[in-house]
Amino acid sequence: MTEARIAELVDRAFDYRGYVTLRRSDGSELVGFVYDRSAAHLDLLDESATRRTRIPLAEIADIAFTGEDAARKSQEIWERRKGKPEPRETPAHGDWADPGKVLVLVALEHELRSVARALGAARRGSVVRGRLSGGEVVALAVGVGGGARRAVAEEHPRLVVSCGYSGGLDPALRPGDLVLATTVRRAGGDALAAPESPRLAAAAALDGLRFLQGGLVCATSAAASPEDKRALARDGALAVDMESYLVAQAAGEAGVPWLALRAIVDPLDSSLPPFAREARPDYFWPALRYAFSGPRAALRLVRLGRDASRAGAALEAALRRLVPALAAAEAHR
Amino acid sequence: MAIPAGQMMAVGRYLLKQRLARRERYPLVLMLEPLFRCNLSCTGCGKIQYPVQLLRRQLSVAECVSASDECGAPIVSVAGGEPLLHPQIADIARALVDRRRFVYLCTNAILLERKLDEFEPSKYLSFSVHMDGPRAEHDHSVCREGVYDVAVKAIRAALDRGFRVTTNSTLFEGSDPERMRHFFDDMMELGVEGMMVSPGYSYEKAPDQEHFLRRERSHQLFARMLGSPKRSWSFNQSPLFLQFLMGKRDFECTPWGNPTYNIFGWQRPCYLLQDGYAKSFRELMEETDWPSYGRKSGNPRCQDCMVHCGFEPSAVRAAFESPQAMAGTVASMVTGRL
Ligand code: SF4
Ligand code: SF4
Repeated sequence: MTEARIAELVDRAFDYRGYVTLRRSDGSELVGFVYDRSAAHLDLLDESATRRTRIPLAEIADIAFTGEDAARKSQEIWERRKGKPEPRETPAHGDWADPGKVLVLVALEHELRSVARALGAARRGSVVRGRLSGGEVVALAVGVGGGARRAVAEEHPRLVVSCGYSGGLDPALRPGDLVLATTVRRAGGDALAAPESPRLAAAAALDGLRFLQGGLVCATSAAASPEDKRALARDGALAVDMESYLVAQAAGEAGVPWLALRAIVDPLDSSLPPFAREARPDYFWPALRYAFSGPRAALRLVRLGRDASRAGAALEAALRRLVPALAAAEAHR
Repeated sequence: MAIPAGQMMAVGRYLLKQRLARRERYPLVLMLEPLFRCNLSCTGCGKIQYPVQLLRRQLSVAECVSASDECGAPIVSVAGGEPLLHPQIADIARALVDRRRFVYLCTNAILLERKLDEFEPSKYLSFSVHMDGPRAEHDHSVCREGVYDVAVKAIRAALDRGFRVTTNSTLFEGSDPERMRHFFDDMMELGVEGMMVSPGYSYEKAPDQEHFLRRERSHQLFARMLGSPKRSWSFNQSPLFLQFLMGKRDFECTPWGNPTYNIFGWQRPCYLLQDGYAKSFRELMEETDWPSYGRKSGNPRCQDCMVHCGFEPSAVRAAFESPQAMAGTVASMVTGRL
């Protein structure tokens, strides 16, 4: 093809409001949107609208106008509509769906408090509603039973985050460290893989905080002693909790992407006091009773309280970063 | 005159600094386009014709902030597309306000009322609501019924909460000057701080190409519309620019006065024309072939252009640089005459 012909195609491609397919002299092809050109090269944005490529004009063999021309399309729509305005009831977001909310599910009231602080919103019973970076966020404390399925059905979220405390199974994890799940496994059962794109966005957002990515195992009763935990750690899980599997399952069934993010309270070598081995909404009275059972118990309780507040602060910091990053990642899809 | 004194002083200080530094080209308003998607499709709009993947793309908060830092203009006009569709628009506004930029958030106001909670009133933040005229004209221009009423309701809600609100109106062939005068009355009665007017930009990609105003027609229309202006009217614009629209003054455009930044980069040469993109603000300023643009250049695409983003900076600069023009500006501000 002559140089003049290429120059003409480049000008047309630059003026074109759609994707073009560019064939290089070596036979390779590239699809993109041409947003700039000069006498020597041409600049393209790829189909994900994120990667830019500069191609020397000398390498171009041909350009085909393969994508729809958005300017022509808008012209046609306008011609068709002439004199007929869109009705009053047209959705306020136009063609752009309301992004929907993020549903954060926790088990305990104590965990819900961290979420409320991250959102700067008040707790109403076991619900917190707030906004973070323009996105609506609803957080619910659903206990460790099967509340997740109902919550997902009622709230129609665009993303579900299972969030809360957990026990460390990896010796490197200390109280307040975070674990972002790559999989969640039911103890002795199957595993669910975390959807990749929200997880990658989350990992990027958490950069700089102390966190690890890996497997979570979900037990049906609290893994209280180091021995219990070592047994659970056998298939490589980093941490243990009691609800992420059910949350992931409920989200998966509803076709909603999910994330599981846990903060470590009790590391591998520590054991939980007996009252904390059962799941209950509030630990205040049992903890008080335990504290009065002797000085060692009181000391253990103080330590547990300190570790739980570390975990709470870590969750709060993580959520503050996570929700805006996920909102941005969503719109980039 | 509607621009608050504090804002005028800040802009004046900025202009003085540029003069003292003997800078030949400097920006006044950053036109920041964080996204191109919109919930409307107005007949005269040439900003939204992109493939859907590009419409989904948006600038991050950090990208917006660094564009503003790079450019340094004291005023940032956040346009688009519809900025309120950006999930982090309130964060963007907040970050710019924290940097003491005077932010004009240009919106069609469809989502404004429901999003107000996310913003905090500030002397640095003003919603600039797209209002192309009285109800019938506006709804016709935006091609959707009921938008005028939604916008008026949102303006009231924003004013009630203590936000600064201005309007921006684009005029096309067929606008009725008398009806526009009534519209100005209505907007002032609503309580907006000021209004902005501009002839329709002749976007090459806009669906309706017939109704862009040519220069002569612009002069006639604006002269009738703005002639003997009422004292109650406030315009958020330089009086010299309004006189330019009326044909009483002539300027050459200042395309670098309102530089435009969007997902592609820094747009050359101006908000209206797309002749490519520079990677940095500096590259835009230093490597754009400026003499090829503006009326005098003979560039056919510039012959009928009177858009505010090209000529308002010329007017502001003229007022600042020539004593006569400054006297004209002050006289107009004091007497309310144009
Ligand atoms: S003029 Fe503004 S409101 Fe209308 S379609 Fe264009 S960006 Fe949207
Ligand atoms: S005359 Fe108008 S279109 Fe031409 S460079 Fe100036 S502002 Fe841009």
